[in-house]
Amino acid sequence: MESSNNSRDVRIKGLAASPGIAVGRVLRLDERGRHQFYYMEVSAQQARAEVKRLREAFAEARAQVKEIRSKLKGELGGQHEYILDAHLLMLEDKHLIGEAEREIRTLRINAEWAVRNVADRVAGAYRHIRDPYLRERASDIEDIATRLLTTLSGHARLNMSTLDRDVVIVAETLWPSTIGELDLNHVLGFATDTGGLTSHSAIIARAVGLPAVVGLREVTRNAQTGDAIIVDGTAGEVLLRPAKQGIRSYIEKRERDRARRLETSDGSTEPAVTIDDVRIKLRANVELPTEVESLSLFGAEGIGLYRSEFLFLNRLPELPAEEEQYDVYRRLAEATGDDGASIRVFDLGGDKLTLEGFEDEVNPALGLRAIRLSLKAREIFQTQVRAILRANSTGHLRIVLPLISTLGEVREAKQIIDEVKEELASSGVTYNPNLPVGVMIEVPAAALMADKFAREADFLSVGTNDLIQYLLAVDRANENVAYLYQPLHPAVLRTIAHLVRVAQKAQAPLELCGEMAASPIQAVALVGLGIRTLSLAPTSIPLVRNAIRSIDLSRLRPLLSEAVKLATTAEVEALLGKHLPRQAPQFFAALSSLG
Amino acid sequence: MQERKVTITNRLGLHARAAAKLVRQAGQFKSTVELKREDTGQTADGKSILGVLLLAAAQGTRITIMTEGQDEERAAAVLLEMVEQKFGEEAPDGVF
Repeated sequence: MESSNNSRDVRIKGLAASPGIAVGRVLRLDERGRHQFYYMEVSAQQARAEVKRLREAFAEARAQVKEIRSKLKGELGGQHEYILDAHLLMLEDKHLIGEAEREIRTLRINAEWAVRNVADRVAGAYRHIRDPYLRERASDIEDIATRLLTTLSGHARLNMSTLDRDVVIVAETLWPSTIGELDLNHVLGFATDTGGLTSHSAIIARAVGLPAVVGLREVTRNAQTGDAIIVDGTAGEVLLRPAKQGIRSYIEKRERDRARRLETSDGSTEPAVTIDDVRIKLRANVELPTEVESLSLFGAEGIGLYRSEFLFLNRLPELPAEEEQYDVYRRLAEATGDDGASIRVFDLGGDKLTLEGFEDEVNPALGLRAIRLSLKAREIFQTQVRAILRANSTGHLRIVLPLISTLGEVREAKQIIDEVKEELASSGVTYNPNLPVGVMIEVPAAALMADKFAREADFLSVGTNDLIQYLLAVDRANENVAYLYQPLHPAVLRTIAHLVRVAQKAQAPLELCGEMAASPIQAVALVGLGIRTLSLAPTSIPLVRNAIRSIDLSRLRPLLSEAVKLATTAEVEALLGKHLPRQAPQFFAALSSLG
Repeated sequence: MQERKVTITNRLGLHARAAAKLVRQAGQFKSTVELKREDTGQTADGKSILGVLLLAAAQGTRITIMTEGQDEERAAAVLLEMVEQKFGEEAPDGVF
């Protein structure tokens, strides 16, 4: 996003790390370690003095971390202070101190440079670990190195333990120890350039229940301390210097969100069953393998959509090797057990990620992407299929083909899968031959032809994000036309009603994934249309579960039959807005607009 | 010298929490503590958190605990029990 530092209404997408909405003013933290440090050669005598400085810096850093740890312990009730415990142990690690001292003595350099060298070396070793969680520990090493360098430089420590007003923290990276230093009573939320969902900062944000969006890439560049900011930790986006009416609508949204969150906070282990006893399956959309650890927390029944292309993130043109993929898929299989996981084949190309050797396209949304790319770059597809077949130890992994337009593509993909199976069998590799193959219904042609697809595919999965975009010919990221992205457009409802009918007739399992399923009203509308399995962002599951538990399907069904006969989106919204609060006052009564 | 072979059985393997516990405990003994991965032969000082994390010992990894010194027997026994008891961390608590 190209924007100067004062343009209004700047919207930046990131990863939804901790749900909820924060509306407030920015406090921008500048990197503690950004001050200059230098390389200096020293004499043997000075080297001894540098070693002494180094030891003092370690001691001072340990004292700081201990202080932060006890503060965090009070705030988090002893659940997460082990993160700081690991930092403390690193600062006590004789190998780390010893290596830095050796560096000073043998290279005759200043303490700062020795810390930098050693920390880079250690962090580098971690970046080679395959396990994404352990790889992330490189950032813990960076955290302590920055603390050591700050201490060595004699710069004053940040003093944020008493903030006099409520703020939203904006930073390039939020170190766990920085969170520990903050006065959390006055922090409304977090927005950071870097970080993933399993970064320690994201974990702590969830633990303290503050909204957070991470991985925004350019939020610090665009935000100034004192700017108005909205952090939508549920949608994973940040709005900088929003217009007045924007602020107002978010404040309303925040209040609704809070009210519902209070209601949903207990009973989250109850199944999603309507009042008249119809069971709805809620599964999770997952992007990062480490997210699987949080599935049980939100009560997800397995993974309905694993976006496998995220394996490529930040590393193209390098492709994930078969073994690496195998490890990830295996982990998905083990973590989800009998509930299983549906792995969507790499959805590359288009606006997402491009592979080397494939040129830029004039119209990427309609170009060489998803299954089209997989069938062309066949080796990539074969490698992925091989890894999935081998990893399917539980027999509950499934594969989903994205952006299918013709039956020919399904047949070709299935043939490749069969060939890979034969190849594995003939080379004596252990694998599970039972791998259901599903078709994503995202292209209108596939929706119209769903009866034919239902006969050859093992299941159908409706991807509403793309289906709506292709059905209404609208790019929702283009703000000039985004108003046309209307999930409750009668055309969308009719298409889904058609899919439900066709799938029932063919007795093909039908699931739906996409952001529609994460909005309580839209999710309820989908259930009223006959969808029984929804896949959504795990953090949204408790809310949607509560919405479903508040409805009576026998009354909802006729409402949706009426909705599909209406002429405009506004009419559909008016109908649902009028009747849902009556049908389920305890959940929908507070509703003032359709979110 | 004492040697104990054991399989890491806790769900997350030697991640930060487990590694911190192990290193803290190992530091209480006078004996040296060394851990070795059976599959790769990689070794780490059991008193160094950076070394233990770098072992990247996931669930199912076989390791050998080697202790040497005046309290080597007690060190080996205590650390073995800690691994066998899954570092006391099996209560589900979200992401970890």
